[in-house]
Amino acid sequence: MRISMIGAGYVGLVSGACLADFGHEVTCVDNDEEKVALLNRGETPIYEPQLGQIIADNVTEERLRFTTDLKTSASKADAVFIAVGTPSRRGDGHADLSYVYAAAREVASVLTDFTVVVTKSTVPVGTGDEVERIIRSERKNIEAPVVSNPEFLREGAAVYDFKHPDRIVIGTNDDRAREVMNEIYRPLHLNASPIMYTDRRSAELIKYASNAFLATKITFVNEIADLSEKIGANVQDVARGMGLDKRIGPKFLHPGPGFGGSCFPKDALALAKTARDHESPLRIVETVVDVNDHRKRAMAKKVAAALGGNLRDKTIAVLGLTFKPNTDDIREAPSIPLITALQDFGGRVRAYDPAGMERAKQVLQNVEFCANAYECAADADAVVIVTEWDQFRALDLKRLAAVMACPVIVDLRNIYAPDEVIRNGFLYNGVGRPLSLSY
Amino acid sequence: MIGTGYVGLVSGACFADFGHQVVCVDKDESKIAALRRGEIPIFEPDLDRLVEANVKANRLSFTTELKGPVSEADAVFIAVGTPSRRGDGHADLTYVHAAAREIARALAGFTVVITKSTVPVGTGDDVERIMRETNPAADVVVASNPEFLREGAAIRDFKHPDRIVVGTDDERGRKVVAEIYRPLYLNQAPIMYTGRRTAELIKYAANAFLATKVTFINEIADLAERAGADVQEVARGIGLDNRIGAKFLHAGPGFGGSCFPKDTRALVKTAHDYDVSLRIVEAVLAVNEMRKRAMARKVAAALGGSLRSKTIAVLGLAFKPNTDDMREAPSIPLITALLDQGATVRAYDPESMHQARGELPNIQYCDDAYACAKAADALVIVTEWEQFRALDLKRLKAEMARPVVVDLRNVYRPDEMAELGFTYDSVGRPQQLL
Repeated sequence: MRISMIGAGYVGLVSGACLADFGHEVTCVDNDEEKVALLNRGETPIYEPQLGQIIADNVTEERLRFTTDLKTSASKADAVFIAVGTPSRRGDGHADLSYVYAAAREVASVLTDFTVVVTKSTVPVGTGDEVERIIRSERKNIEAPVVSNPEFLREGAAVYDFKHPDRIVIGTNDDRAREVMNEIYRPLHLNASPIMYTDRRSAELIKYASNAFLATKITFVNEIADLSEKIGANVQDVARGMGLDKRIGPKFLHPGPGFGGSCFPKDALALAKTARDHESPLRIVETVVDVNDHRKRAMAKKVAAALGGNLRDKTIAVLGLTFKPNTDDIREAPSIPLITALQDFGGRVRAYDPAGMERAKQVLQNVEFCANAYECAADADAVVIVTEWDQFRALDLKRLAAVMACPVIVDLRNIYAPDEVIRNGFLYNGVGRPLSLSY
Repeated sequence: MIGTGYVGLVSGACFADFGHQVVCVDKDESKIAALRRGEIPIFEPDLDRLVEANVKANRLSFTTELKGPVSEADAVFIAVGTPSRRGDGHADLTYVHAAAREIARALAGFTVVITKSTVPVGTGDDVERIMRETNPAADVVVASNPEFLREGAAIRDFKHPDRIVVGTDDERGRKVVAEIYRPLYLNQAPIMYTGRRTAELIKYAANAFLATKVTFINEIADLAERAGADVQEVARGIGLDNRIGAKFLHAGPGFGGSCFPKDTRALVKTAHDYDVSLRIVEAVLAVNEMRKRAMARKVAAALGGSLRSKTIAVLGLAFKPNTDDMREAPSIPLITALLDQGATVRAYDPESMHQARGELPNIQYCDDAYACAKAADALVIVTEWEQFRALDLKRLKAEMARPVVVDLRNVYRPDEMAELGFTYDSVGRPQQLL
């Protein structure tokens, strides 16, 4: 199949590269000339394990190309994927669809023959109808069924997820479109990933509902963590006991500083807004968004409490800035409101992250960025673990204690066993573990 | 086993079936007399046979006398009721505390006392304190071992649990409980040992999460109706995600029963007592509360807006199939709302009508689904009993005054119903299918 991928952001780049790797002929189109030039030189603009290699291999094999020329790419394609960004619109949190609609118009204007147009971007229910309307109004004579095919990949494991999805959702009632989509995903289907065919609106809703449910699951266990701290239970065991229930499952039950990233906050908010527009408010999702917003800053109060209540003139070493490990993405990362709150309370902040510091420098002010965890901890009154990078899981605690001004660890990811840390002379505070374990 | 309610009776019978020697104790003399005659006071598939077989094998007996059996026991399970207290929704622990006092006086030799009732965090501490005060010399360990069985599948659930949670830090206590559950352990059900307070919280957190899952999909169903999506498809799509799972994603009229409403309320109250707000669980409770009555408006909408002088046939009253349990069943607020709006209500349920008569005196009870549907303006499916899944729709239509079906469990296919000439509404499926 000849595939044109509009948008070389996260989803577009990973999808394009992986589809090429299956043997399809893929052109990735982006307006950003610099980005396209960089990709054509063999460089990858995002941090994602395996992605660079796959791009390089498929460029060499001439199955994957990058271009700013939408016309040539889309006009020859069997399927055009729209994978442009849908950021939260400033002010109201709705998904900003201007890039999607612009792409639809441009694609419509160049189509020459039957082509399947696929929205891969996360778009609110009904967007497919609008894209179809745009294409029809531009080109009455071209048959171009519009399909919804949401992408569920996780940053940091995007290539793996794309190639081993729990399911592939294809939303269209058009038989010819289904055939094309089936052909595109055939290699995965053979790998036993179920393809689920449904209508377009349900497919659009599935993506939002999945993310909103996962956000609910995390936030649920975060609230249980707060309760556990107060009543002397251990949230790790509560999560294990809950997770063994097959109707619940163990995934996404890790308490922490609140969810972040480029998807969950944006998608949960956009779903809540869509529901309001339909006069069908989703009160659980609205509550989740609100609880999570408050939580990130509340983590700074936790740090203050571990230091006796006051952060004035204290130095805090923050380990981890990205919203999760194995990415350089700091969008909506809990570290940002946490750090600004620490500064608001009078703390000095030093920080280290294996991949996120470049991006963090553009957002955070007055933070001293360090070369590694131990340098970051030098003379600090407390170390706060915000992102559970593997390299923070087995720090040399003796060395850490020796360089710190005051041996306090606030572990917002519960990656250490409290007794072990305490044995090394630290005051330790995790999330949702009884305070009796902390001191 | 102290208490022969749902949990006590099922647990006692199953433990006996493993080969343990079990005595079930209850203060209610008529209940014990009935059990001795082989009469089972609750509707639960296979329970009667299990009780009969183990009584016959002399492994299971029933008595009103607590002292003798407790003094001889290696382990005493407290499985008395913990109803919601009137007024504030807290779990009423009167029976648990009374049982603890009485047990303490009867103890002889090392005994593990295990709370199997669903009790708020800290109750194990109370039980231990009561026992130490009542009988300071007793050699006793208090453990928490919450039960996760579902009504209607209780025996299967007890014998094939996802996990067994044992809350105690005492090694001797752990050993006794492990020995009791060894037959299950060999069946590969994982035993999870943890602290007592944590074990107590696990039960509430698990139920509250499942209540959240169901309510989440109910809200998505409402949105799906408005936005022209199909909640069955959405549930399938999100359920295929391994991090979510397909269970408990069935949209319906709101959760009910003897556990979910009570346990979620009690968890919220416990959290408030410790100055924590579980805002998600609070939202779940509020949404679910409003939903049950809202289903009556759905019925009214299917009949053009007004229920005045309409006859509504309600199929299913129990809070779920395979039980006669009416506690907090969605049928109750639904039916009272139908009556409030001026409708006449006829109802049929295979098992729960005797329970329902007390709660719902002003409706007409029928002998079967077709009798119930007679001359009705609309038929509402509230509980998804198997026998309602393949009704003779032509016959049904002939009985009814108007062919309107409101299917609150999505057991029928919209296209089929339309073909047969029904006006059909369900939960979370697009209106244009009507």
